[in-house]
Amino acid sequence: MNELILERKRSRVFREMNTTLTVMAREITLLFKSPSTLIMSLTMPLIMMGMIGGNLMQNMAGGLNFDFGGFMLVGMLVNMLFMMVSMNMTSLVEDRETDFNQEMLVSPVSRYSLVLGKILGGAFGAIVSMAGTLIVGLIMGITLPIGKLLLILALSPLFCLSGGALARMLIGFIKSKKAANMAVMLVTMPQMFLSGAIIPINHSDGVLMLLARLMPMTYCLDLARAVVNAGTPEYDSVVMFNPAINFAAIAALTTICLIVGTFFYARSEKNR
Amino acid sequence: MSTIIEVNGLVKQYKGAKAPSVKGIDFAVEQGEFFAFLGPNGAGKTTTISVLTTTLSKTSGEVRIAGFDAEKEARRVREKIGIIFQQPSLDPNLTAEENIRFHACLYGMCGYRPTFKLMPAAYREQVTELAELVGIEDALFRPIKKLSGGMQRKLEIIRSLIHTPDVLFLDEPTQGLDAVSRRSLWEYIDGTRRRYGTTIFLTTHYIDEAERVDKVCIINHGKIAICASPREMKRAVRFDPTPKVCLPSLEDAYVEFLNGGIVA
Repeated sequence: MNELILERKRSRVFREMNTTLTVMAREITLLFKSPSTLIMSLTMPLIMMGMIGGNLMQNMAGGLNFDFGGFMLVGMLVNMLFMMVSMNMTSLVEDRETDFNQEMLVSPVSRYSLVLGKILGGAFGAIVSMAGTLIVGLIMGITLPIGKLLLILALSPLFCLSGGALARMLIGFIKSKKAANMAVMLVTMPQMFLSGAIIPINHSDGVLMLLARLMPMTYCLDLARAVVNAGTPEYDSVVMFNPAINFAAIAALTTICLIVGTFFYARSEKNR
Repeated sequence: MSTIIEVNGLVKQYKGAKAPSVKGIDFAVEQGEFFAFLGPNGAGKTTTISVLTTTLSKTSGEVRIAGFDAEKEARRVREKIGIIFQQPSLDPNLTAEENIRFHACLYGMCGYRPTFKLMPAAYREQVTELAELVGIEDALFRPIKKLSGGMQRKLEIIRSLIHTPDVLFLDEPTQGLDAVSRRSLWEYIDGTRRRYGTTIFLTTHYIDEAERVDKVCIINHGKIAICASPREMKRAVRFDPTPKVCLPSLEDAYVEFLNGGIVA
């Protein structure tokens, strides 16, 4: 046998970035190895956009002073990103069940790099769902100009990071996959309505408004709609906040969720 | 020889537990030593190994691995160690090679590439040679789900050694393996020790596996009962009423000790 040639790379930055890339690649590999997950990623938009959205469009869109189809398409694109990334984060609990988590936790890398890799890997599946949403939208006759679509695509990693960080914080204390799936559903479903993915929330007040303000998806949706509707007469009807406020709120909420979630992820394993 | 593992007054009490699982233990392991940490179920072996490998926080005491504090310098400790856990910690959905690649990249041995062919030549050569050495070259590109328990264990050994650790922790590595697999695994571990001078920290329920070690520590009820070479341990056994002509096996000594028949 020849002597060892592999040597540890010295740069800490390289190693952390490499970790994020490796974990992300694992998530993408797993997605391709699981046809059912891939099919679900493409089928989900059919239910969300086609059935729920289609029904709302037929029964609600009439009295509104803006294009409900476009409003809903942007909402569904962001919602699918949040939903799919959140669902993918539950695989951290699965890794714990199969003991693969131990392999990750004994490696000499930052826990943030691991969590970030998980979120970005999940983002790939979410973007597949985004494509599914666009196809369903196209069938329903709802489209977006290519330039606007590319802008949303450019923002999608930020939205995925935000959704993943929220999910990471929520499932930080959960030990079973079943409970983690339920927790994610308990948040993603109400979030879809509270944050205004498919129905406007401009007139929400009281507790509902407070909940909407606490959800990162509210700001992600608003930022996406600001990008899509910039310079149109509908802008004031569909956008609630200044994009700078949206961006700051997303950054703040994502950072808080990521730090708290990652802290509990590492702590729950070690402090028993 | 310098000390590579130092444990002083280690105490670990789990949350909600009425008493500590590990009650102030002290021991040291020298560099290059083959060390066995034995004890009955629930004695505190896995708890100790978990603290040493930074996967569990201690309640009090001091643990140093390769000169680094296991709590405050956990990352430096993790760079120096390799671990084979009691339960297999492979990703069942990936292939054998993908599991090794994942590990090598996490330990910063090479940059990630999406396929084996695109990985650096050094990585490819090393993985192929190691797989041939332990006889799993045909299984390298098969999913973990389709590998036998013995093959999975061999794969874990390859994986844990790919970053050439100074200390290799083996927590019951041959649990559930057949005799042939056990033997070939030990041949490989012995070869690795000879080649790289790796310190081995072993816990096992198969006491005959500890016959080859340099030093044995027995933990019972969370306390270190004895630390000695296997030969010294055997000599310390008092067999009544019929004295044996030959030295007893380590397993005899271990059982006698737990039954209270040993003069420590």
